[in-house]
Amino acid sequence: MNPMHFLTLEWRKYSPSGTFRVIAALYFISFALILFLARQLSQNMTIDVNGAATLAPLSGIFTYPHNWELLANIGSWMNMFLLGFLGVLIITIEFSNRTLRQSVIFGMTRLELAVSKLVWALALALAATGFYLLLGFIEEILDRAGLGLPPVGSVLGFFAQALGYLLLGNLVGLLIRKTPLAELAYLAYVAFLEPVGRWIFYYTVARTPLLLYLPNTVFGALTPRPVLELEKQIRQSIVESGAATAPLSHSEVGLAALAYLLLFGALFCRRIVKSDL
Amino acid sequence: MPVLTVNNLAKKYGSLVALAGVDLTIEAGQVFGLLGPNASGKTTLLALLLDVLHPSGGSFAWFDGRENEHARKRIGGLLETPNFYPYLNADQNLSIVASVKRVPDPPLDALLELVQLKERRRSAFRTYSLGMKQRLALAACLIGDPDVLILDEPTNGLDPEGMVEVRRIIQKIAAQGKTIILASHMLDEVEKICSHVAIIKKGKLLAVGAVGSILSDQPTVEAGAADIEKLFQILSETPLVKKITRHDKLLILELEPGRHPTEVNRLAFEHGVTLDHLVIKRQSLETEFLEITRR
Repeated sequence: MNPMHFLTLEWRKYSPSGTFRVIAALYFISFALILFLARQLSQNMTIDVNGAATLAPLSGIFTYPHNWELLANIGSWMNMFLLGFLGVLIITIEFSNRTLRQSVIFGMTRLELAVSKLVWALALALAATGFYLLLGFIEEILDRAGLGLPPVGSVLGFFAQALGYLLLGNLVGLLIRKTPLAELAYLAYVAFLEPVGRWIFYYTVARTPLLLYLPNTVFGALTPRPVLELEKQIRQSIVESGAATAPLSHSEVGLAALAYLLLFGALFCRRIVKSDL
Repeated sequence: MPVLTVNNLAKKYGSLVALAGVDLTIEAGQVFGLLGPNASGKTTLLALLLDVLHPSGGSFAWFDGRENEHARKRIGGLLETPNFYPYLNADQNLSIVASVKRVPDPPLDALLELVQLKERRRSAFRTYSLGMKQRLALAACLIGDPDVLILDEPTNGLDPEGMVEVRRIIQKIAAQGKTIILASHMLDEVEKICSHVAIIKKGKLLAVGAVGSILSDQPTVEAGAADIEKLFQILSETPLVKKITRHDKLLILELEPGRHPTEVNRLAFEHGVTLDHLVIKRQSLETEFLEITRR
């Protein structure tokens, strides 16, 4: 099993696809545009207090190392939606063209097929992380504050998150197989079922911190938004009142994310090896 | 030497039996037809042999079981429809197939020449007619010079010209000595292309053997004379005729194997009966097939 062989194979399959190109372009363009907007806001947003003082509440959010955290947080939306959609599409495109089964007919083992897709997801996650780093350095150059290396935690968190959403998308695609239905199911899960369902469960069934270990919540927690001191105090008082649970620590989030990556990868391989194609 | 040995292979979907314990042996160089009506289990059998489906029971072994794990790299398969990436052209699709089969330098020019797609090699697959898609699938199957070709209804949906073209290519490939397994519900297709045939219905194998032995080529004869009663009496008593039935003022004769209709004319003449109607009719393959599947 040569990963480079699989990578070349998948690149030749997907790079000419119009849908793939559009989603990839949307990812890069929207990521850069939102960063640009955030920078504009941080520089130009002011609040007049009693007509006298002028505050710039977002002026400090692009200071090192928060700039990297903020950038990762901005990218997390693109990861959740666009990379997730891409993850679904990578699989459903094969089912709609019946090319997954054709690859088996032409001699690929099922395990090779699964590994090939995982290698492709890994490459896409790396590409997304590469773009995150590129945007970060460009932002630092534009800011003229000097280049600061990104915190390892932010980079690893961004990469794990990108891979996590891709694998989640892969799994949904593999289970549902039809593109529109699978994309809708993925969207429903990450945007509604888990985030809303988690709170409904929390307030009506059980106020358990285990809810913070749900996959979308864990992946989201990998790229937290930089929190200002005042906000920290407010959050703390909410936790103490019992209206919310304390967030997971960095190591808890990291371990949970790793567990999900391994679980999703294993489930994906098992499903391809065991199911009829 | 057997290329494929199938033992009691079965596939069930819940209570639905798609394939009910099929036993089969296919020798090298055979052009083997799987003949059966729609939904008889032909595609299920081929999908199992190509590892697209998992069997519910039984087993099979390619190439005497010696290279089962990598056997599919020695097989070219087309299951149901030609499956390619619609946004890629012939060259790109075939290159992907070559990459999957790990064939470093596939002879794409020669293959596209064989299937007459050289001029459209740069057109996207989605712009192809069904006939062109089938021909591209044949080219894809041939990448890596496989020992066995599995073709599932390769002329399905084609116009007569397309059918002739695809059959011509298959016969050309068969002439190279390759083993071909061809599923079809078209009797004349099997008769024209195949050396051996298995008849399958409702997931059960009903008959297996050489095409000549399964689908008889013995003709039926219509005979008539002014004195039809005497003719009936003569033909009823001769070992020349296997079965005789009356139909209006004609006798329908099924001859014993190896006997020729001219013998009927001679026999009648020797007994003083002059035939005024003698028509040799080949028993239709449909009739043969229906007889087997009704047993």
